[in-house]
Amino acid sequence: MSQPANSVKKPLSAKKVILRVLLYLVVLDVCIITLYPYFAMLCTALKGRAEIFTADGTILPATALWSNFIDIWSRATMGRYMLNSFLIAGGSTVIAMLCGIPAAYALARMRFRGQTAFLGFVIVSQMFAPVVLLIGIYKVMLSMHLTDSIWGLIFINAAFNQAFTVWLLRGTFMGISAEMEQAATIDGCTRVQSMLRVLLPVAAPGIVTTLIFIFINAWNEYTVALCLISTDTRKPLTVGINIFNGYNIIEWQYLFAASIFAIIPVVILFMCIEKNLVSGLASGGVKG
Amino acid sequence: MITKTQHVPLKASPQPPLKRSSGGKKLFRKIEPYIWIAPSIILMAVFILIPICSVFQMSLNKVSKTGKIQGFNNFANFTKVLNSSAFGIVLKNTIVWTIAVVVISTVLGFMLALILNNQFRGRKIARAIVVFPWATTLVIQASAWNFIINKDYGTLNTLLLKLGLIQQSVNWTPTPGTYFAWEIACGIFVTIPFVTFCVLSGLQSIDTSYYEAATVDGATYFQKLFKITLPLVKSSLTVSTVLNIIYVFNSFPIIWTMTKGDPANHTDTLVTYLYKLAFYNNKQGEAAAVSVIGFIILLICASTYMIYTLRKGDDDL
Repeated sequence: MSQPANSVKKPLSAKKVILRVLLYLVVLDVCIITLYPYFAMLCTALKGRAEIFTADGTILPATALWSNFIDIWSRATMGRYMLNSFLIAGGSTVIAMLCGIPAAYALARMRFRGQTAFLGFVIVSQMFAPVVLLIGIYKVMLSMHLTDSIWGLIFINAAFNQAFTVWLLRGTFMGISAEMEQAATIDGCTRVQSMLRVLLPVAAPGIVTTLIFIFINAWNEYTVALCLISTDTRKPLTVGINIFNGYNIIEWQYLFAASIFAIIPVVILFMCIEKNLVSGLASGGVKG
Repeated sequence: MITKTQHVPLKASPQPPLKRSSGGKKLFRKIEPYIWIAPSIILMAVFILIPICSVFQMSLNKVSKTGKIQGFNNFANFTKVLNSSAFGIVLKNTIVWTIAVVVISTVLGFMLALILNNQFRGRKIARAIVVFPWATTLVIQASAWNFIINKDYGTLNTLLLKLGLIQQSVNWTPTPGTYFAWEIACGIFVTIPFVTFCVLSGLQSIDTSYYEAATVDGATYFQKLFKITLPLVKSSLTVSTVLNIIYVFNSFPIIWTMTKGDPANHTDTLVTYLYKLAFYNNKQGEAAAVSVIGFIILLICASTYMIYTLRKGDDDL
């Protein structure tokens, strides 16, 4: 009955072959279903308006209209939207990290009164999605003259990603032994120096993961931007592309061509961190 | 001075040179952690805590059309919301939406994780593809689905017609209920990857010797699944479920993009409803009341789930 763990060299039984085939079929199905919306988007982005709206539709475009991808840059201020998205995502990331790294460091390396309370607040803040607080956020922004401003979005995104940043970085820092930093302190480094020169380089993988994740979150943010920004030239991509999604006419080909520009950078970034991110999430949850 | 402190510790402890200013040092030591966490606290206080307070305050007060607080109004905002005919539908929709999306995506995501945890060729590619819906912004994902299921020119009809599975175009969304079901499907589609990867990380930390021992003892696949796998990935599942309850409950873009909650609140959830109240109908007090009600429901659900699973976990140990 018992099998050695490394039974790879044995000839596969019929049952195992069937299981293998089933496995591949399921995986293939999952991949096809997952990619289908993207396939539909790409095909539509390459079609002409008339071809999309015919009752007897086509799956692949009759002739690929690559010009759609060029047209969107003149039909909407795509360049501006893209720049705004970069500014918002980049700015939020910088601020979230500048605030989050010291906090995570203190939580991982120091003991102080109110530590648990702070951690508790960080977790509870997760329960308030920006959309639930939108009225309150709008009021705060009004009083600070940050409505309709990219800075407002930067701060909001940084704040709402703070919980995640602190949580993930705390886990990363706690996973690194404090001995090296202590040695550096004995050699005369201040705390700040020992953190910057000793801890952060070692923690780089965790930091990059966190960084990219905040960037993606801020890049994909829609609700707050929709509510706060009214000037067209200050809109990020997620809100701006809806210019093609009008009340009377939806320019699907342009909407999807613009969408593809919004998706590509994020998907690439996400695939880079996918592995680290999940282990970080899990360890943070377990350790907490 | 500085050079001295650098050399002394090599032989002795670093304490002596510090002794002179030990009072100030001690005080600094005490307040130092707070300096480190200060930026984070300020950021969250200004942009999360103040909005929270402001929402609670607005929910309890009469709020003018311009957003001025005009005094306590004896919970009138809450009674108005609770008595409105739309609220019942909205609450029911929210519950259906949250439970359906979280439960179905957890089950499917868990199964997908079990599949992806096998060794097979192309596993890396499959994992990369599964990430796609997670990485895509929800507005775009929802627009794509809206286009796919369109009854006049949607690609789902085209595809099924070409494959010969249907004879004529099907109206996929004849009633608000079916539209809502499609929204739920879209929600599940984008939620699965998160569950899958949380579970995968849990699966990968399980020591394979457990399975080997169980195989020696003659355990079946399902025995191993329920007695080894499930208990050991439970903490990952708890994390993903709690976070999903929060995210899905508060999810706005899918419903807003696909139906805007129309017709007549039939596909609204609490968040789209409160958005309309606040920014379309200018009833900020009532919108704040909806926010508070939503938060209370969420707090009860998430904490109950967490306490329940954690306690159950303790019993097992």
